[in-house]
Amino acid sequence: MTGPSGVGIGWRPEIAGFVAGLPGLRFVEVVAESVAPAGPLPDGLAELRGRGVTVVPHGVKLSLGGAEPVDPARVAHLAGVAAALDAPLVSEHIAFVRAGGVEAGHLLPLPRSREAVAAVVANVRRTQAELPVPLALEPIAALFDWPDDELDEADFLTEILDATGALLLLDVANVHANACNRGGDPTALLDRLPLDRIAYVHVAGGAEHGGFYHDTHTDPVPAEVLDLVRELCDRRPPPALLLERDGHYPPAAELRGELDALAAASGHPVVT
Amino acid sequence: MTVLAGDTWGIPGPVFLRWYVVAAVVLVAGALVYRWRALAGTPVHDGGPLGPQQVAYLNGGDQLAVWTALGGLRRAGAVGVRPDRRLTTGGPLPAGVTPLDQAIHHAANRGLRSRELGQDEWVRRALDELRDGLVRRGLALDKERRATLRRGALLVGALLALGFVRAFAGMSNSRPVGWLMLTLVPLFIAFLLLNRVPWRTRAATRALRELRREHTWLRPSAAPAYATYGPSDAAMGVALFGTATLWSMDPGFSEQAEIQRQAMGSSGSSGGSCGGGSSCGGGSSCGGGGGCGGGGGCGG
Repeated sequence: MTGPSGVGIGWRPEIAGFVAGLPGLRFVEVVAESVAPAGPLPDGLAELRGRGVTVVPHGVKLSLGGAEPVDPARVAHLAGVAAALDAPLVSEHIAFVRAGGVEAGHLLPLPRSREAVAAVVANVRRTQAELPVPLALEPIAALFDWPDDELDEADFLTEILDATGALLLLDVANVHANACNRGGDPTALLDRLPLDRIAYVHVAGGAEHGGFYHDTHTDPVPAEVLDLVRELCDRRPPPALLLERDGHYPPAAELRGELDALAAASGHPVVT
Repeated sequence: MTVLAGDTWGIPGPVFLRWYVVAAVVLVAGALVYRWRALAGTPVHDGGPLGPQQVAYLNGGDQLAVWTALGGLRRAGAVGVRPDRRLTTGGPLPAGVTPLDQAIHHAANRGLRSRELGQDEWVRRALDELRDGLVRRGLALDKERRATLRRGALLVGALLALGFVRAFAGMSNSRPVGWLMLTLVPLFIAFLLLNRVPWRTRAATRALRELRREHTWLRPSAAPAYATYGPSDAAMGVALFGTATLWSMDPGFSEQAEIQRQAMGSSGSSGGSCGGGSSCGGGSSCGGGGGCGGGGGCGG
């Protein structure tokens, strides 16, 4: 039940053999919706748990930012997965994925309004009431700002975290993406975020298309994102950093190189 | 009539039956004990870990060993296929190849078709070498040992034939043959079972089970990222789970090279990977852009 620490990687069935072969690994994340709490754990995950590796369930479909209350069945599932994995915490996004019964299939950004803060806070509290462990919230990347934004990103997040006592899952690639696409200085945002609330950090690759930076999770981690990781670690080193890769998996040497780069940038031990 | 009929072959029925049953029990028991001992084999850890081609031979014989070598060479980019479905070489042989790799690379260089590989003389020689190594390690059975095992079945078959002849003679002699017929049924079943001689030992079967458990991540249903895994992992995938691995790794090559499709080791207790299967489904939904969220959000 130790919290996430060091450099980790998102566990996916496609690269389970690679992840299992990382000797120094102490922390992975798994998409919560892919684990059945009652059934047996996926083979690779069970083995990692046996080795004492911390497994954090990462929800993607709770829709904490929805106007309607969170689905109790989805909350129960997340709680069940946390128990099955003996996880120290779970994470979800500050976003909505459905509205009026229609599934978007994507994580959609909220307007940064007082009303939205109230809706998220209510849903986070409903979720926290059922979870056996703390919840970490991840702000998402967005290509646009809503016209009715009343708060800036830092205030928006800080208000939600203060009102709920939730932890922060900071996605450095999203910070980079937002700065690229919506303007603003990413390091200035780091200065204003409650860095002491960070449970762990997401780092992912992306690519630029048509003047926009896309957080694809299928491309290498750009140097700018690694620079931002160093900026963050200069301010306050997070307890753990996690590499997210969701497709177009590169040769093992390249993935190991990205994990080593994360370790070098953050000062955490090398896991490869 | 009783005088004329007499006992078949001059031996009274009960006496024949008694000796026949004794002979059957002794013969079958002897064959079973011999078989049990001959198939025990030597545990794998005594001789170091098995390579993919060794695993393939134990799992599916010559043909699977050929597909496994071909899979490893394909993943390494050392073989390709031409539009006329003949194999070709795509690059130099990687370091640390086996004699079977060399033979198949050579055959590809000569433009053989994939189904002709098993008859190629070099390939045959390499396969013999592969099998001999496994025989020496107590994992596979050589021809002599398998022939000896069949001899046990042959003896039981001879006894069975004697029983049938006696029963037939008895019937034509209007003697009761019910008990004898009843004895022939289990003996016939024993004969059929003893005729089935495996090509690997129990130690090898245990090793395969263990390897399948350790390599569930190579199951084609988990959609393994073959680009991340190296040629040796790709080869192990073919060795353990059949050519389904080749088809999911490189469908274009598999189709063009006319590799027969086969899935192995997907049955039985490993259904636990059903969890893997479901997680796989989840995984794909994640790839869809859930987890990555950002990806999705950005898409707008």
